[in-house]
Amino acid sequence: MKVICDRGALQDAVNLVSGAVAGRTPRVQLTCVKVAAERRDGVGELVLSATDAEISMRVRVSQVDVQQPGETLIPADKLRAIVGAEDADPTLTLDAEAEVCHIRGTDAHFKIFGFPPEDFPPIPDFADVVAGTAQIPKSRGFFSYRAGALDTLVARTLFATARENSRYAINGVLLKREGKRIEMVATDGRRMALSRAAIPSTDKEAKGVSCIIPTKALAQLQKLYRDPDEVVQVAVTDTQVYFSLGSEKDPHRAVLSSNLVEGAFPPYEDVIPKDQDKKVVFDRDAMASAVRRAALLTNEESRGVRLRFNGKQRQLELTSRAPEMGEAQVTVELNSYEGDDIEIGFNPAFIIDVLKVISEQEVVMELKSPNKPGVIKVGSDFLYVVMPVNLQ
Amino acid sequence: MSTLLASQIAAGEVIERPASVVKELVENALDAGATRVAIDLEQGGIELVRVTDDGGGILREDLSLALRPHATSKIDSADDLDRVGTLGFRGEALASMVSVARVAIRSRTAGEDGAWEIEGEGSQVREPRPASGPVGTSVTVRTLFFNTPARRKFLRTMPTEQGRCVDVVKELAIARPAVSFVVTCDGRVTLDLSAGPSPRRRAVEVLGKEIDPELIEVHADDHDAPSGPGGRGSTPMAIWGLVGRPSIARATNKAQHVYLNGRAIRDRVIQHAIMEAYRGLIEPGRYPTAVLLIETSPQAVDVNVHPAKAEVRFRDSSLVHSVVLAAIRRSLREADLTPSGFNTGFGGIGIAAQPQGPGIDRAILPSASPAGGTWDRGDSRPAASPAAFVEFFNRFSPARTPGAALSYDAIRRAVQDGDTPSSSEREPGPPRHDPSGDESSNGVEPPGSLPVPVTAPRLLQVHSSYIVTQDDQGMLIIDQHALHERAMFEYLLARIADRPLERQQLLTPVPVPATAGQVEMLDALQTLLERIGIEAGPLGPTTIGVRTFPSFLFDRGVDPVDFMQGVLCRAEAEGFTPDSEQALRDVLDMMSCKAAVKAGDRMSHEELDHLVRLRTEVERSSNCPHGRPTSIRITVKDLERMFGRS
Repeated sequence: MKVICDRGALQDAVNLVSGAVAGRTPRVQLTCVKVAAERRDGVGELVLSATDAEISMRVRVSQVDVQQPGETLIPADKLRAIVGAEDADPTLTLDAEAEVCHIRGTDAHFKIFGFPPEDFPPIPDFADVVAGTAQIPKSRGFFSYRAGALDTLVARTLFATARENSRYAINGVLLKREGKRIEMVATDGRRMALSRAAIPSTDKEAKGVSCIIPTKALAQLQKLYRDPDEVVQVAVTDTQVYFSLGSEKDPHRAVLSSNLVEGAFPPYEDVIPKDQDKKVVFDRDAMASAVRRAALLTNEESRGVRLRFNGKQRQLELTSRAPEMGEAQVTVELNSYEGDDIEIGFNPAFIIDVLKVISEQEVVMELKSPNKPGVIKVGSDFLYVVMPVNLQ
Repeated sequence: MSTLLASQIAAGEVIERPASVVKELVENALDAGATRVAIDLEQGGIELVRVTDDGGGILREDLSLALRPHATSKIDSADDLDRVGTLGFRGEALASMVSVARVAIRSRTAGEDGAWEIEGEGSQVREPRPASGPVGTSVTVRTLFFNTPARRKFLRTMPTEQGRCVDVVKELAIARPAVSFVVTCDGRVTLDLSAGPSPRRRAVEVLGKEIDPELIEVHADDHDAPSGPGGRGSTPMAIWGLVGRPSIARATNKAQHVYLNGRAIRDRVIQHAIMEAYRGLIEPGRYPTAVLLIETSPQAVDVNVHPAKAEVRFRDSSLVHSVVLAAIRRSLREADLTPSGFNTGFGGIGIAAQPQGPGIDRAILPSASPAGGTWDRGDSRPAASPAAFVEFFNRFSPARTPGAALSYDAIRRAVQDGDTPSSSEREPGPPRHDPSGDESSNGVEPPGSLPVPVTAPRLLQVHSSYIVTQDDQGMLIIDQHALHERAMFEYLLARIADRPLERQQLLTPVPVPATAGQVEMLDALQTLLERIGIEAGPLGPTTIGVRTFPSFLFDRGVDPVDFMQGVLCRAEAEGFTPDSEQALRDVLDMMSCKAAVKAGDRMSHEELDHLVRLRTEVERSSNCPHGRPTSIRITVKDLERMFGRS
């Protein structure tokens, strides 16, 4: 294998696939990046792959001159360090033979001892997953979607997932597609984010599909995202999900696959309250700033901020109190308020989190009573249920 | 029944063995105002006990009465029983001895020209006859139980009986530093306590000089007594004492010496107060060393409960309990309880136990490897290896990024009253460079290489588990998990006394798999759970649903299912009662253990700094809630000895 590549493009690609490199494992192959130089229809490209056995990534670099196709398997941390440090060179030459890879800049030469590329676990091709082959079962659901729209769905739910919860199913985000509707849902048991969108149903196959995707995979998917107008193709098998990003010009620029989270997602429809009788409309930025300030005087175990809604004055007063620290009080003008006055406590982080992912300026919050959930809504596409804390 | 037989039976209650004779006679000597008491023993006291004092002496006319039952000069009327100020008062001891031994008393008062002597044996008491001798009394008891062979058979070996006799003298001597005591066994002086040292010195002379540095003084007077409910009036009470650091706690409570108005007593209430003061400082099943001299008005206590008078009855035992508890707790709080390396290991016990001479230290030390198994207390408890600890905690530890590990400010603020150490005291520290752990500890410089500029970090984290630092006495090794656990525990305890923990409601009840028995038990646990912010109810025959969980635990990455199962198992095993303070402590203990930084968690320099500072700010910081030490000190002196420099 011999290939001359654009250093910047190579660095981006190495950084991206590094997200799938395993940290500590006795299987050295999983700490490596597979570098493959290919020529397709006369055009050369370099394909970098990595996997940690949970998720896999494959990223293509097209700014290359493939002089001799071939592949090599080298430690990811070394490759990343070298490509990053050679920042004076516009191009680097990768030259591999058997298990040794040479990386050459204008004034430097690195010789890296790698491993046999055949030892790298095979990562199925996206097209094979969609079509199904002898070894690879055909996906049970496939659709393509605008990258920007999917990214919004992910951003509006990913933050609400649980971390290392014993109920494994909520350590991921539920992805559900039914007809013309696509939905993502995440919860950590204390709040739940639900984001929906319409999906153009040009696909012949309108079969519904539902799966739980691990948090880590979606975080990597966010990194792969580049241009809202790109297309994301999604294929779901019984145990895995595949995302392929690319444009017409540059299809399958990056492919991410991940094992699915097993288990049943909690019946999320049931926790959406239907009988909220108080409705608040407020400005996103004003509220975010107020909650952030009120949260300054909370501590680890006096976490809650008290929200006191005053309908007559269309005002919200936020107060916090950390017994050994002090107290804070911030007032927010409300756009509108309907219903009786109410006082309720929330973990401020849960409010700040959601306001960060909402792009709309005007936000609606619906309440019922101090020990019933609050609901935050924007339009009909986003809904956030948050459980209160009992302040003493 | 003959009078003799009756008194022989009665004697069984007072005179059990030579040591009882010694006790009664020495107490008599002390009641007579002696400043010097000499005790001679032969054959462990079985053949002879002689107690000679320089007290007031007995008048000739009283002498013949002295050997008769119920004759005493110590009290006159029943009213006197309410204000007994002497050690004896029942008038039984001498008479009991006469019924089972050959007793001779020689005595002379200051007003008399010469001494008088009287002898008694069994039922026969002779008339006093003139003798020679100094002012004072000498009582000789020979061939104990000569006429009751059955009792004589029950005596132990000579050395055992002798040991008991000496122990009795020691016990009495602690409370009377102004009196000199000399014990001679078969012509050899085995105990020689000169008169007039401070109470502390006397106690140390008796208990062993090697534990002197480990003893902390305790004081209290009646101002410290909480004012009881009206009408009871205040009972004047004063306490002086010495209590040992947790590191010298023992497996039995024999090292506890409690005196009430100079009388050695064994009192459950006081023993409980002592244990309570040490709660969380020593491991279960161990007992602190304590010497407590309690003075109170004779009216406040009934000493006439048992012939041997070891038991007493307080008029207001809860007051006594709270005064003792408060006094010891205060002293422990104010003291530095860090054990020194030498007292916890490093052959320290070896040195302490064999105070033969200065040369012994060096002889013992080289063999005591600092890394090996000598790290434990020198008794039977095996020390877990550090690696095992890391392994143990890692299993519970959620992956934590440094920086998210601790919230010190909250704890620090909660436990300190006001003054924050000035920020100038803190080192600026190299930015973003983490001086902890591997780099610094692995850095063995090959000889000849360039010297690395040593910006010696004030704190060194060793294997992401221990923190090494220094104080004015030497070097401190801190167990990060144990110290943080203690800090959290104290914080939570204080916090819960104020109000229940903040509860986060859950979208849907979190199902916790349980046994049917645990589900049934849930009702009884409600009060306890509510205090710590948990609402839970049955969700099925073998499932419990958790509806709220403390936000604090969520923030520390503690899983509700895990925690709930822990609580249920503990409740089952310990049989929690809902209002029990112990149950609350147990649960808080579990909370702090789960929430605290673990062995194996790397910490930023700032976090280390905060944690170490908590050491001085948190109550009982010397030990974790389970009683294990949080830190160990190796003093400069210890180091010098280990390196053979002293």
